[in-house]
Amino acid sequence: MAHDTNPASHAKQLPADLAAPAFVDAWKTRALVAGTVFAAIAVILGFLGQSQDGLGWDHLLRAWTLGTLWTWGLAVGGLALLMVQYCSGGKWGLLLRRPLEALSRTLPVIFVYWLVIAIFMNRLYLWAQYTTASDTATALKNGVISEIQAHCLNFKRPMLNPAAFVWVGLLCFAIWFFYTWRLNSLALTREADRPGNTPYWIKKFENISGPGILIYSITMTACAIYWVMSMDVTWFSSVYGLLFLVGQGYLVLAFSIIVAISLSKAEPFKTILRQTEQHDLGKLAFAFVMLNIYLNFGQFLIIWSGNLPGEINWYLDRIRGNWGVIITLDFLFHWVIPFSMLLSRDLKRNKKRLLRVCQWMVFARAFDMFWLIEPNFKDAARNLHFSWGILEYIAVPAALFSFWLAYFCICLGRRPLVQVNDPHLQEILEPEHVNA
Amino acid sequence: MPAREGTYGLLAEFETPGDLVRAARQARQDGWRRMDCYTPYPVEEAAEAIGFHRNKVPLVTLIGGLMGGAAMFLLEVWITVLAYPLNIAGRPMYSWPAFIVPAYEWTILFAGLSAAFGMLALNGLPALYHPLFNAPNFRDGATTDKFFLCLEALDPKFDRAQTRAYLEAFKPTSVVEVDY
Repeated sequence: MAHDTNPASHAKQLPADLAAPAFVDAWKTRALVAGTVFAAIAVILGFLGQSQDGLGWDHLLRAWTLGTLWTWGLAVGGLALLMVQYCSGGKWGLLLRRPLEALSRTLPVIFVYWLVIAIFMNRLYLWAQYTTASDTATALKNGVISEIQAHCLNFKRPMLNPAAFVWVGLLCFAIWFFYTWRLNSLALTREADRPGNTPYWIKKFENISGPGILIYSITMTACAIYWVMSMDVTWFSSVYGLLFLVGQGYLVLAFSIIVAISLSKAEPFKTILRQTEQHDLGKLAFAFVMLNIYLNFGQFLIIWSGNLPGEINWYLDRIRGNWGVIITLDFLFHWVIPFSMLLSRDLKRNKKRLLRVCQWMVFARAFDMFWLIEPNFKDAARNLHFSWGILEYIAVPAALFSFWLAYFCICLGRRPLVQVNDPHLQEILEPEHVNA
Repeated sequence: MPAREGTYGLLAEFETPGDLVRAARQARQDGWRRMDCYTPYPVEEAAEAIGFHRNKVPLVTLIGGLMGGAAMFLLEVWITVLAYPLNIAGRPMYSWPAFIVPAYEWTILFAGLSAAFGMLALNGLPALYHPLFNAPNFRDGATTDKFFLCLEALDPKFDRAQTRAYLEAFKPTSVVEVDY
């Protein structure tokens, strides 16, 4: 195509200062305050729950797992999306590159959160309580666990044991730390390099990210199995890792859109966030909303069709005894609302409304994990009831998320928000639609 | 409708989408309404420049999708509950989870077909004849690499000599008169 004869008439200029705007610091302060408040509430609720039914601290730990998984989804999900955009290219990738890098650099926080789970694992996982065949036999004789649980504990012990939990966790974190360090440090080297070397860098990042995505999905699946699925030792589903993968995509896209739109109140995102890319990101989030319900419903349909005693209990634990209300709300929150909202083209192009929907999606993801985690435990399975402890599911994830958010703001502020040494930059500064 | 005769409009040819958009925007600002842009690929700015207005394709698609989904779901309910009830693994006759997948497929199918045919119908397609194809440069370039702006004779501002001079001020590659 011939070049525009008069490009100066409507080309945009990148501002000289590409640093994060000052209000990112204000977000950090606000997040720290909110985190402290919620942490205090969580401790109070822990005492209240403990005196009520003796499960206060257990609930705190379960809610801690939820908060860890939620923020973990953002950190490693951000790393994954960073690798995806290096492989796929595209202007949305350049737009989100720095925020995604900042997401990936929050991994140390997740590691700290995970350490707490690793330390208290015998309060969360049956397999960490009964680590030998004789322990399991005694527990079965005393009627503490069922026969099927005893069988699964013994059968799955080579994989589900405390040492394996710790080693697999450490290995996965080591791999993610490696990719985070590699992609983040090379991005700076590339920025300092001359523009002529761009083809080399594009290839280089592709070669790191391509295998990285594969390795990420394997490590992510392993951790999803260890951290969440193994809370119920009797159950298994081959789509579980994929469910988390898609859930992370859902969460990270929603969160990145929130970051991009919130940053666009000031330079430099004011200049580089165009309606076109915002619309594209909205469409991508919409695709994940659809894929998410597709996999969730697919898993349900297969287990419902099979109706086997070994599998169906997992769903019955989560439907009977008032849990039906939660799963119905989950379906509404997680799918119906974002789906019908994001269907609209106007909404995806409207900053304020898209922001609201994405905030809702971040919340919906946590709500979904509440339904996933709490019914794993004997006191809650098929029996949703109010206790002070259940309110931990609001306080603890909110606290963990706030502290994580504060750290994210620090990471975001450490680098200029736009990568300059990229051919997509010219395109993103062009007026909209001319090269559509 | 009787066959129209005479001039359909004046067709200006541009080399780049930018030139086309500038010309179109100016023409609309100067009061032109009966006009259209023709580009080898979608140029949304051109659509905006000549006063893009909403169309009903999204609504047609939504209604089509909802109707498809409802039709299949009701068909399944009718078959399994009323017309030919079968006991499948002791499940209730009305086993809605099993109905979701075909209903979903029909939603997609009908939404897709409604979008495609709704778009064609609202576009006035298929059209067997369009006067612009009388212009050889349009025939050769409109689907390849040229960008066209046509000011139509139906516009009250249209005047053969003045409009030609007006278009030539935008420095197009050529301005040709197109007959019905």
